[in-house]
Amino acid sequence: MESPQPGSRGAEALKHIAPGSSISVAYHPLFGPYDDLLLLELDEKLLPDVLHERVVLRGQPDEDAVLCTPSKTYAMKFVGTSNSVLLVPPANHSEFCENPQKNDSNNEEEKVVAPVIKVVFGNMELIEAAPRLDKLKSFLSEKPYNFDEYDVGNVEDNQESRIGLYNWNDLVGNIQASDEELRSGLQALSAVEINGYWRLVDGSYMDMILGMLLKNSVLNDWSLNALNEDEVVSTLESDGFPGVLARHCLNVYGTKVNESMPGYVWKLDEKRVCIHFAKEILKGGKRKLERFMDEWRQKVPDGMQPTFDLVEGEVLTERVGVETWIRPFSVASLPSTPADRFSILFRERPKWEWKDLQPYIRDLKVPGLSSEGLLLKYTRRTQPSPDAEPVFSAR
Amino acid sequence: MEIRVRCNCGEGSCEEWGIVELQGVVEPQPGFHDSLPNLHIGTLCRPSSQELYTFTVGYHELTGSKVPLKKPMVVLKKVKHPDGESGCKVELQVVGVIRHKILFKNRPKALISKPQITSRERQKPIMLGSSPSNQSA
Repeated sequence: MESPQPGSRGAEALKHIAPGSSISVAYHPLFGPYDDLLLLELDEKLLPDVLHERVVLRGQPDEDAVLCTPSKTYAMKFVGTSNSVLLVPPANHSEFCENPQKNDSNNEEEKVVAPVIKVVFGNMELIEAAPRLDKLKSFLSEKPYNFDEYDVGNVEDNQESRIGLYNWNDLVGNIQASDEELRSGLQALSAVEINGYWRLVDGSYMDMILGMLLKNSVLNDWSLNALNEDEVVSTLESDGFPGVLARHCLNVYGTKVNESMPGYVWKLDEKRVCIHFAKEILKGGKRKLERFMDEWRQKVPDGMQPTFDLVEGEVLTERVGVETWIRPFSVASLPSTPADRFSILFRERPKWEWKDLQPYIRDLKVPGLSSEGLLLKYTRRTQPSPDAEPVFSAR
Repeated sequence: MEIRVRCNCGEGSCEEWGIVELQGVVEPQPGFHDSLPNLHIGTLCRPSSQELYTFTVGYHELTGSKVPLKKPMVVLKKVKHPDGESGCKVELQVVGVIRHKILFKNRPKALISKPQITSRERQKPIMLGSSPSNQSA
């Protein structure tokens, strides 16, 4: 079995050369440049995804293409070689299946031949990369859902009303991320699918619907730890909010307590609710710390205890004389590529202590680079004395 | 834009392609540039049961070996499907997989006269760093 049949051709012949024998390497009858044939090097573990058609290339013509598996994103890099790489297809390959040369090569007598279809000058390589999600935020910010839209009602699906709206297919066609990464990106942005389009909901609308939910919970004596979904949604609907947004409100500010019962039960998440109100207060600009904390305690629902560590990554503190002021500076508003992120951070503040910096970089994920690696690459670390806190500045 | 990667073969039955890699460029003599199809490039010989090969191209002989690729490669073919609205829909079709190559990484040796197949026994004992430890034992 190992040795090729006399007269056999192709990659099989190349693979099974019997010891002590030789084969001829020749140009294929259909030899050519074949620019449409590419070699892609990949990890053995990615091979099943490729063979089962679970990978896709994503990107606009002006972007470098990325390859996405269901869960990960890989940058594609062309690696050239100065060697000559002679590519030999299998003999029975449908496309390059030449008619057996009848009599014109008779003098070669059934010689075993490995035919070279193309000389390749390099191959594509994959490098695991972070999903490119910044575009997602800017897309969805084009037309956030707000009050006006609900008043208009469900407008007809015409071209004009579709401007600034993106459905799932629009997103996967434009965003260089895997399906899974795109979904978690949508979740991180608190986006919601309304009438087939993925939307951000205007902040003041969310404030209003959350306020109404809390008011209803007082009126109806609901526990914020056990909110019945059907009850909450139908009450909010009778208050004039669409059901999809009532459910979205539970999703954004709560967690499901039980998954199994018909009619889900939700628990409001203290942290998320508190952060929401902190942001609402700071919409008016910076505040003195004491005043902010007073206002905050008043605004949150009874039973919730806002503590300052909840607003890590949302506010910056500044000392002005004996006073401490805070002002809004949300990590969610910063770019997700490390270089851009650090450049904005150091423009904001030339020097950062670790405890202040950490909330603004802990979400940065670069495959193959640890958070220490990130700091080494983008910051200069100084430590005035061995027991002093290290300070980070721009490189 | 999305380009789907298609595969008709399914895992396990993906056809294996082969690669012969050598340094530099294979340059046909000027007279043959227009008649490359079926032109003989060289003779690939496996002298023994080891995965060692010689490749004789014209008056040059290369010595190399079959090496497994550190990572497999897939051969992709760009396919354009005519698409109703916007011209063409591009897909990539997996047409094969490559796991080994026969690599000739040394410079060619000129063949003055036909070299006899040398016995490889002489090369075996030469192993890096082996002699000092033999002595000490």
